[in-house]
Amino acid sequence: MSRQRPSQRVRRSRTSLPIIALSVGVLGVLLVCGVCWAGYQALQGGLADAVPPPNEVVLRVAYSPEKDVLFRDLVEGFNRRGEKTPAGLTIRVEAVQLEPEEMLERALAGEFQAITPDSSLWLDQLDRRYAERSGPDATLIGPVTRYAVSPVVLIMWRDVAEQMGYPNRPIGWGDVLARAQSDPDFKWSHPSTASASGILATLAEFYAGAGKTRGLTEEDVNNQQVLDYVGALEKTVRYYGEGEWATAQRVKQAGRAVLDAFVGQEQIVVWLRQQGADVVAIYPVEGSLWEDHPLALLETPGLSDDQRTAFERFSDYLTSEEAQMKVLASGYRPADLSLPLDSPGSPLQPANGVDPNQPQTALQIPPPAVVQVVQNAWWETKRRANIYLVVDTSGSMEGQKIANVREALRLFIDQVKSDRDSIGLITFNSQVYEDVPLDRLENNRAQLLAAVEGIRAGGNTALLDAVNRAYTLLQRANDRERINAIVVMTDGLENASAITLTRLTAQMRDGNRKGVPVLVFAIAYGEDADKEVLQRLAEATGGQMREGTLETIRNLYRILSTYF
Amino acid sequence: MNRTRVIFVVIVGIAVLIVAGAALFRAAGGQVSPPASNQPLEVRLLVALPVEPWVSEAARQFNQERHTLEGRVIHVTIVPMDGLAAMGRYERGEFGPEEGQQPLPTAWIPDSRYLVELVNSAYKEKVGRDVFLTDGEYRARPIAISLFAWGIYTSRAEALERKYGPISWRTLHDAAIAPGGWREIGGRPEWGYFKLIVPHPRRNIGGLAAMVAAAGEYYDRPDISVADVTDPNFQQWLKELMGAVTDFSSLGSYPGENLALFGYSAGDGGQLLESDLLINMAGSLTRWEPLRILYPKYVTWFDFPFTVWMGTETTALEKNAALEFEKYLLSRPWQERAVSYGLRPVSSEVSVDRPDSPFNQWKDRGVATVLPVTTRMRDPDREVLQTLLRWFDLNVARR
Repeated sequence: MSRQRPSQRVRRSRTSLPIIALSVGVLGVLLVCGVCWAGYQALQGGLADAVPPPNEVVLRVAYSPEKDVLFRDLVEGFNRRGEKTPAGLTIRVEAVQLEPEEMLERALAGEFQAITPDSSLWLDQLDRRYAERSGPDATLIGPVTRYAVSPVVLIMWRDVAEQMGYPNRPIGWGDVLARAQSDPDFKWSHPSTASASGILATLAEFYAGAGKTRGLTEEDVNNQQVLDYVGALEKTVRYYGEGEWATAQRVKQAGRAVLDAFVGQEQIVVWLRQQGADVVAIYPVEGSLWEDHPLALLETPGLSDDQRTAFERFSDYLTSEEAQMKVLASGYRPADLSLPLDSPGSPLQPANGVDPNQPQTALQIPPPAVVQVVQNAWWETKRRANIYLVVDTSGSMEGQKIANVREALRLFIDQVKSDRDSIGLITFNSQVYEDVPLDRLENNRAQLLAAVEGIRAGGNTALLDAVNRAYTLLQRANDRERINAIVVMTDGLENASAITLTRLTAQMRDGNRKGVPVLVFAIAYGEDADKEVLQRLAEATGGQMREGTLETIRNLYRILSTYF
Repeated sequence: MNRTRVIFVVIVGIAVLIVAGAALFRAAGGQVSPPASNQPLEVRLLVALPVEPWVSEAARQFNQERHTLEGRVIHVTIVPMDGLAAMGRYERGEFGPEEGQQPLPTAWIPDSRYLVELVNSAYKEKVGRDVFLTDGEYRARPIAISLFAWGIYTSRAEALERKYGPISWRTLHDAAIAPGGWREIGGRPEWGYFKLIVPHPRRNIGGLAAMVAAAGEYYDRPDISVADVTDPNFQQWLKELMGAVTDFSSLGSYPGENLALFGYSAGDGGQLLESDLLINMAGSLTRWEPLRILYPKYVTWFDFPFTVWMGTETTALEKNAALEFEKYLLSRPWQERAVSYGLRPVSSEVSVDRPDSPFNQWKDRGVATVLPVTTRMRDPDREVLQTLLRWFDLNVARR
């Protein structure tokens, strides 16, 4: 082994110097190029565009609440597949739950690339509104895919249906409406006309009032005799509510006492049966309507090819065998016609209270303009309400809590659209104050809003005394034609009332039996609220207890406004 | 300045020159990478809904096979759109390269040749020339055909024939105005009133074709004029007929599918595209009962012409790439495949009377491989179509 001499090492180092310098120079050029290019890109695209280019394409789809469980499951199933566009972008579907009315507004504002409301009725409404903005021939609705359908039915407890002749005699809207008018204890409900099942129920009433089964016109809807007929029927509705799915969940929780019958899609019958409720689907003999859950692409000018591809892939998935089996298992009728409804394992069996051979006929859906008039007329004919807003203003409500409640109360008052509904405001801390007496909104809307602005926090919590005051005032008013309700909210524990919970609930049960039925909708605001007390107040009257937070209180009051 | 500083300044200078050069090249419209010749040739094809499932399947296969033209791979993108809606978008200038416009399709397969002629005549007024050629290499060529036939649930068809005789628009008009509904017609009371299926004419050209066909039978001739469709007696008759449609809103792209999906609850029957009926025959049988197919006296044909956009917005290579896909659709395997979608092939080499054909499968339900003697409805002109659409808007959509 030979060793190099020092002079050799020096000569070699000197020879490699230019190579090293050249390498450093090239690296330096590349480095500076990179820095300059990044700077150039940032200047070209602005800071926002300096974010790395997205590797996914998002399809924003708005869906209606009644299919929440199924649709979320389908979206998750699709996203898990990690489908890609031809350009290699991962497709992701983002699902946003919205009531159809809000869905339409936000679709017109360009927030979504696709929508899937409960019925195609809304597609017509959307196109109509779009044409008003963009010209008579303009359409927003592109290709439509159907993946699940379900007829709208009357959902009844079996014993109630049997009393009406089920299963030996066909039952219709007329039977239910006659029963509701003749039996004050009969409790039925349909959603507002903000959902397809609510529209169907209302259309059925207008058809019955006009003595027709088709060809309903604007003149029919505005005819005073028809309006009186519908108004009389609407007075028999127990309450409205945020939709069929919420009603179904309520029936599941509270059971038989809540309602005798309500309007919803057939799938809900299957779901309730799976939860142990003995309900059956009544397919109205005069005709039904279909919730067809269309998935529609919105042909907005900004729609990209990647989003179009995403829609196609999602549509393909929804009609795939995997998705269609999920659809059937959830109690919907799948769009894949090769799947028999009576196949083994299908929940659409007579044993589940449904009949796959029904419905035999459907009510005629009037044109969008007439449907709009029906929706408007419903606001005038629907059952009026007397509502006491009972609001906790104790010291624990101070700060953001009371600020959010003020906003929520304003929203509630705005949402009750008819000026003929009545609202009163009671606040409580150590004492109970009737800030605004119960009166029609045409008389006191401004006063209510001003009082809400003036709400301040301080003192203890006389919750029970406040509810008692509202209840007594409603009993005293003795208005049987209206829905009578108390919407009470508290964030703490009862600590200042004269009346006890036991006495108050007994008093309310007795009062509801002998006097005017009053419903208590109780809101437990935050973690410290006395949920047990609120639950017992609600239960005593057939009402509901809901939990709210700083973030959800506004929406909760909005939801409760749909009950009136 | 010492040597290190000189080197540093040189490095920065070179880098700035490189970046500036690249930026200038890019601003001038140059492509940095990959080279243009390696990019696929994009064919954007607007396709009428009745042939879309077949054409989409062919496009997927075509793309997988990586066909090339002048060394570049052709990629076909399908945009499904009703023919009438597409016509409206062409005429309103909604396709094009500008912001807010949808990308201009390289080619279009509308439902019928007359839609091409209508778009051409609109552009002739605007730009003084046709935008779709009707002769020569790029002429519109049919890729498959289908016709309108009656599809009616068997129990309902039997009751109608017992009461009124052979099924026709006149028969159905009588059923539509029967005040007692099926009880009066001879069906079961729980069937409600007679319910006709007609697609929404603003969403599906089949709805418009149905109204034109009804006018043909009303006047007992195949050519319909504006004077015919504005006649108050005809309009009253048509309004009564359309009064039997249960729901226009849910009858969108595929009315045959709706007929099978919602069954006789939503429609007892209607005059629909034969292909649409054929692919849904099994479904109606699974969910409800069999459909009966009958052929009307005056037949409306759709020929689905493949039509290449001739404007300068697309290159000659893109136009030729579109023609490559057209040839693919006209090839024997894909013409045979069209039959399984219920379409009649344009290739004389392909028969609909094959053992696995739906035409054969549903012969006993009235499907004819060879049509009985019928009269072809003539293509309506623009004024007739627009008059009927306006009439529909005013009298039916807002009835």
